[in-house]
This record gives sequence, C-alpha cells and structure tokens, in this order.
Amino acid sequence: MEKACININELINVFSIKQGSIYQSDKLNCFFVDFGGKFARYNCLSLRKLKKVVEDIDIDALLLNTHKADFEVVTFNGCEHIYLLNACEIVALKELLQGTFTMFKLNHLISDCLHRLVV
Amino acid sequence: MKDLMRIKSLISQDIETLLNQQIKKEAHSSSLYLSMSSWCDQNGFDFSADYFAKQAEEERMHQLKLFKYVLDMGGNAISPEVSGIKTDFAGFREVFEDALEAEIAITQSFKNIYAKCQNEQDFVTMEFLNWFLKEQREEEYKARRALELFEVIGEEGTGRWEIDKHVNKITYSEQ
Repeated sequence: MEKACININELINVFSIKQGSIYQSDKLNCFFVDFGGKFARYNCLSLRKLKKVVEDIDIDALLLNTHKADFEVVTFNGCEHIYLLNACEIVALKELLQGTFTMFKLNHLISDCLHRLVV
Repeated sequence: MKDLMRIKSLISQDIETLLNQQIKKEAHSSSLYLSMSSWCDQNGFDFSADYFAKQAEEERMHQLKLFKYVLDMGGNAISPEVSGIKTDFAGFREVFEDALEAEIAITQSFKNIYAKCQNEQDFVTMEFLNWFLKEQREEEYKARRALELFEVIGEEGTGRWEIDKHVNKITYSEQ
C-alpha cells in the first residue's frame, strides 16, 4: 500500500530508527511498517509473525556462508510483502521490531494505569 | 493510542511461547508413552502396555487442552513437530524410570511457566495452570508408585510378571 493512500496524520508513530518507522492506525486497527522502501500494512498477527521471522534469521551464518549471497528473503506464508535485505538491514529491521514491541508493552502498562485500573 | 496487541490477545507473547513449548512437551510425552506401550506389548507385559497407552492418551488430552487455551485467549497455537522418540529400552525397569523422569520434567516445566505468569501477574493463566499442577501430583505419584513396585516385589522369578499385573491397579486419591 502506498503512503499516498493513507492519511499520515491519522497514524501514530510507535517507534522509529534511522532506517524506518512503524506506525499504528487506531482507525483501521492495524500497523504500517515503513522500511526498505516499502510502506506495508500488517495486522497484529502478521506483525508478530514478521518479528519472529526476522528474529529467527541467523545473521552470523548469513555472513560466514561464502556459498550464499549476503541477502535474505524476508517473508512468511500469507504475507503480501517480501523484503530482500542484507545483513545490516536485517539488524535494523530487528531493532525496529523489537523497539516497537517494547513500546506496545509500555503502552499496555500505561493503558492499564490510566484507563483500566482507575478507581 | 489503542492497546491493539492486548485487544487481540489476553496472553503475552512470552507466555504464548512458553505454552507452545509446553504443547510440544506434552506431544513428546504422549509419543514417548506410546513407544513404551509398544515395547511393553512386544515383551509380553500386557498390563503395562495398556497402562502406557492410557498415559499416552492423557498426555494427548493435556496437549489439546493447552492448545485450546492458547487459541481461546487469542494466541497462535502451534501444532508441534515431534521427533527423537526413544523406541528401545534396556529393560522393564528402565521403561518406568524413564516414565518418572518424563513426569518430573513436565512438572518442572509447569512450575517454570507458573513462575513466569506470577512475574507478569497473569492470574488468568495461573488459574488455568492450577488444573495441570494438580494433575501432575497424580501423574508423578503413579509413576513413582510403579517404580516402587520393583523394590517391593523384586524382579527375580515371577517378579516382573507380578509387577506387570499390579501396574494397572495403581490409583491416586487425595483422601
């Protein structure tokens, strides 16, 4: 999905690094990953799957294996998006996703304190 | 900002991962018990073969119970791949030693999940796990009692035949 289709002002920036950002849309109940020249939409489950796929990549093996290109195809079954990333980009995407999920945890704690546990 | 991840699932990703690991362990136990049942049957220990076949079914039921819970809470339950099941045993006693060891490992695993839930204040999952903790009391008791038969009866003469006859009669009562 192109950025032009989305009203960027309606999106909440969850986490950003130099190489990309992840946004949340409260209106559409979904996330947008702005990374590697793509602006891709994900739901909760697919974002979690993406994180798992990226975390499972063995970067050491990728760099040390001389019979293989230093690129990795990042996708999973049912995913509409495919990333072709080098080792540095994989590290960056991992950092972006881990930061995002940490923000989700923080947001959960704040939501509990502000809305759910108010006496 | 909406708490979308929490809206989607009651359990955290860490708990979901642990529960999926437990699903795999239960599946492994079920296969191991079936393997024990097969060994016992082939070596003429019919009652023990039945006992282990029933245990295999129970472990499968535990696996499905965990599987359903993960799904019901909005998580992603993973159907596990089970491999490396021991198929040969050095003797009748070793089968029961392995069975007790497997139950101890399962109990320990549940304790670890419970500790994590306590840490996260996931009281809903803790309450769910209470059933399994209680079940482990029975499972370990039965496995320990079965192994004790080897000391009480002894393996000499018709000892193994007697042990086999008594294995199926082991029951657990809280009272």
